[in-house]
Amino acid sequence: MRAKYVMSEVFLGLWRNISMTVAMIITMAVSLTMLGAGLLLYNQVDVIEEYYQTNLEVVVYLDRDITPEMTDQIKAELEDSGYAAQVQYESKEEAFERFKDTFEESEDLVNAVEAEVLPAAFRIKMNDINDADKLIADFSEREGVYQVTNQRDILQQVFDILGGAQRLTLIVALVQGIAALMLVANTIQVAAYSRRREVAIMKLVGAPNWFVQAPFVLEAVFAGVIGAIFAFATLIAAKFLVIDGEFADLFSLMPPIQMQSILLLLPILTGISAVISAITAWITLRFNIKV
Amino acid sequence: MNVFIDKGEFVFFIGPTGAGKSTIIKLLLREEVPDKGKISVGDIDVTRLRRWKTPAYRRSIGCVFQDFRLLPNRTAAENVAFALEVIGKPKSVARRVVPEVLELVGLGGKEHRYPHELSGGEQQRVAVARAFVNRPLLLLADEPTGNLDPDTSIEIMRLLDRISRTGTTILMVTHDSNIVNQMRRRVIEIENGQIVRDQARGVYG
Ligand SMILES: Nc1ncnc2c1ncn2[C@@H]1O[C@H](COP(=O)(O)OP(=O)(O)OP(=O)(O)O)[C@@H](O)[C@H]1O
Ligand SMILES: [Mg+2]
Repeated sequence: MRAKYVMSEVFLGLWRNISMTVAMIITMAVSLTMLGAGLLLYNQVDVIEEYYQTNLEVVVYLDRDITPEMTDQIKAELEDSGYAAQVQYESKEEAFERFKDTFEESEDLVNAVEAEVLPAAFRIKMNDINDADKLIADFSEREGVYQVTNQRDILQQVFDILGGAQRLTLIVALVQGIAALMLVANTIQVAAYSRRREVAIMKLVGAPNWFVQAPFVLEAVFAGVIGAIFAFATLIAAKFLVIDGEFADLFSLMPPIQMQSILLLLPILTGISAVISAITAWITLRFNIKV
Repeated sequence: MNVFIDKGEFVFFIGPTGAGKSTIIKLLLREEVPDKGKISVGDIDVTRLRRWKTPAYRRSIGCVFQDFRLLPNRTAAENVAFALEVIGKPKSVARRVVPEVLELVGLGGKEHRYPHELSGGEQQRVAVARAFVNRPLLLLADEPTGNLDPDTSIEIMRLLDRISRTGTTILMVTHDSNIVNQMRRRVIEIENGQIVRDQARGVYG
């Protein structure tokens, strides 16, 4: 009975102030989408790190016109250097095969590159990847070596980009989140004002505080949950339409974002949103409805 | 000031405007907390009552005001039932008690009228019914007849008198000398926050 009363008050409150309710839900949805994206990126960095941890290599690219003797000589030097656990030669043809595999889906790109242009290389599994700089210092100036790259350096750039994107999403999430909470506080104030008669009478006849406050807090929680659901839907749509759709090629260089981690966001976002909205509403009430 | 009011008494608080009569009501409701001094109702020390215990305390008190304080979008019966509903009484109780108490205040047959369909006197009866429906031990009334004509005022006073006879303690603030003189009950006169007169079976003076 009382629950029915509270629920009808909640929906009446949201409906009476519909424009504010919509604004509240939209800002919450934007904030939570950004928060969700930020969390996914955070997770993605972990996944990439783990994925490459064991596979990181230092690659010694050889000059295009190198002689077989020189190649053997460099190989021997690499093996003797003490840094390398395993040295594997990759011929021009193999390099081209690998290139074709990587860009399988971009036919134009593959067609545009000739097998000749890709250099032969030594792919080196390091004993300790932290020695990579020393190895690079020793070999990059050597005759017959075109360039030495550490995959970790390339990865570092990817991390930097992901980290930047993550910071950006979290900043937007924070700013939008603050706006959303201000809207919540405002909505609650308006709701408390429009129900001031009921509230005064409830307090006069001794309704428990939680009962007086429940409709307001639930209004905020309801908006928070709807906002979280919208944010979740946006993230799902982004996965299917952007990451797996339009820009699939771009994202195929990274390990895919797992559906599972997006699904996990639903309870996380809903929980965060509901709890923070409820706390905001409750604090607002403490200043507005004194007992 | 120091005053003791016994269980079941009917007391008028009178005095010039700004004397502090409404303040006494607010203190008793714990809407205000005094800086010093002590207020006890029954065996509850209101001045030291914890905030979260206030609602339970208020359930033992009924309250009527000059401006009725009814919900305009609810009928007479719903207004009374609301008071029961929000303190968690089951609907079956409301169905049984509300018609009873509306009958008691003389509103039988008008249960389903909205406040704007009732006269001032009738609205105040609804307010009295709401205040009394929980059978409080103490009924506070702040100028309950302040908005009513003399005849209607007397009807409301009869009603309060009837409630008083059930053993309910009644504290009533009023400016209405006729009422005070007719009822001949205990009168406490206040000026500037001080008691200047406390007279059993007193008159407005
Ligand atoms: N919240 C408050 N803070 C400070 N002073 C207040 C407050 N409420 C009332 N007062 C003052 O306390 C005094 C007593 O006010 P109170 O409302 O009790 O008067 P009253 O006796 O009920 O008068 P009236 O007959 O006009 O209703 C007044 O001087 C008033 O200005
Ligand atoms: Mg007053």
